Amino acid sequence: MDLVRILHQTFFGGLAAMGFGVLFNMHRRHILWCGLTGGLALAVRTVGLQLGWSLEGASFAAALAVGSVVTVGQERIGVSRNILDVAGCIPMVPGLFATKAILGFFALTAPVPVNPDETLITSVEFFLRVAFTIGAIGTGLAIPSLLLHVMARKK
Amino acid sequence: MAEPFANIEAASLEDLAMLSMEFGRILMECGASAKIVEEYVNRIAKGLGAGRVDLRVGYASLAITVGIGHAGITRMRKVGDLGVNQQLGQAVRALVRRQEAEQLSLAATQAELARLVKETPRYPGWVVDLAVGLACASFGRLLDVDWQAFLPVFGAAALGQCVRRHLLRRQVNVFIVATVVAFLASFLSGLLARWSGSLTVDQAMVSAVLLLVPGVPLLNAQYDVMGGYPTLGNARAVWVGTILIFLAVGVWLGQIALGEGR
Repeated sequence: MDLVRILHQTFFGGLAAMGFGVLFNMHRRHILWCGLTGGLALAVRTVGLQLGWSLEGASFAAALAVGSVVTVGQERIGVSRNILDVAGCIPMVPGLFATKAILGFFALTAPVPVNPDETLITSVEFFLRVAFTIGAIGTGLAIPSLLLHVMARKK
Repeated sequence: MAEPFANIEAASLEDLAMLSMEFGRILMECGASAKIVEEYVNRIAKGLGAGRVDLRVGYASLAITVGIGHAGITRMRKVGDLGVNQQLGQAVRALVRRQEAEQLSLAATQAELARLVKETPRYPGWVVDLAVGLACASFGRLLDVDWQAFLPVFGAAALGQCVRRHLLRRQVNVFIVATVVAFLASFLSGLLARWSGSLTVDQAMVSAVLLLVPGVPLLNAQYDVMGGYPTLGNARAVWVGTILIFLAVGVWLGQIALGEGR
């Protein structure tokens, strides 16, 4: 396992989440929590990828971890759960794949497309990865709160 | 303990419905999911004395039916552009909880809401620009952009955010803004990355436009579908898809301008 890579991804995942926390106008005292959830998400995802999981599987595990930690610790932190959930998982949103998928589709419509078969397959693959990764993140975040809801109703 | 509904003696159903929807409108515009909007509108309406509340959350409008006893009315109102403003969203939710706890009157709740909208602070524009630049440069590192391209991505994204802020303030169409900012940021990032000797110019160009990827609406779209609001969820997803297409057009133009177009 490449520890340096994990630390690198954790640090920059946290930094990206903090930057977006400012863009989302989060309170100053919550920005650090954004960084921690973003770092946690990227750490889990990187470990998952290094264990040979797919990007979607690793993103699901990371979102589940973030959702669980935030659900358990939200009262102590003093900020609503979905805010930290979303901020923490923003660095995992596959914007690069989305952009490259659309650019690939544009390239297919050129008068003389270069390697159209390969471009089509790559673009469709990127598009599917975007859809499945977003689905994995949303599902991973939703599970802890749904479980909490069920447990609260049983009480 | 206060008499139940004593706080609505002077309030008409009309005022109650419109104020409840004002809470919903602000929450929507602050980036809340439909489930949150419905929960808090229900709570504030019931806190102000409504016996029954039914809310329809649409992408561009809200419709509410409130009733007390045998009387009831239905009202609708427009929702503005959906952005993200967590501080205001949090403050509005806290006001709902306060109204419930202290049984604030309708007039007092209305005044407090107006104060929150007016006084909730925002970061200075330049701070947001730098933060977004740093976020995109960090995204770049996550996507294996080399160190030579780190500062170019930072500068291009910060400038792109600055331009986006100014264009949106002038009420330029959000899709046009996406293309203009994507072109500017990707072109500048690619140009500077190339000058600095980067070997990852292509990734640097895309990293600089990740500020435009609508992550919150994208996750909200899924939450809404899963939460039983498929119409709103689909509307959000279509909006996100359209933004991504306009974004990609901007990057494509940037690649052509740099001679990297396919």
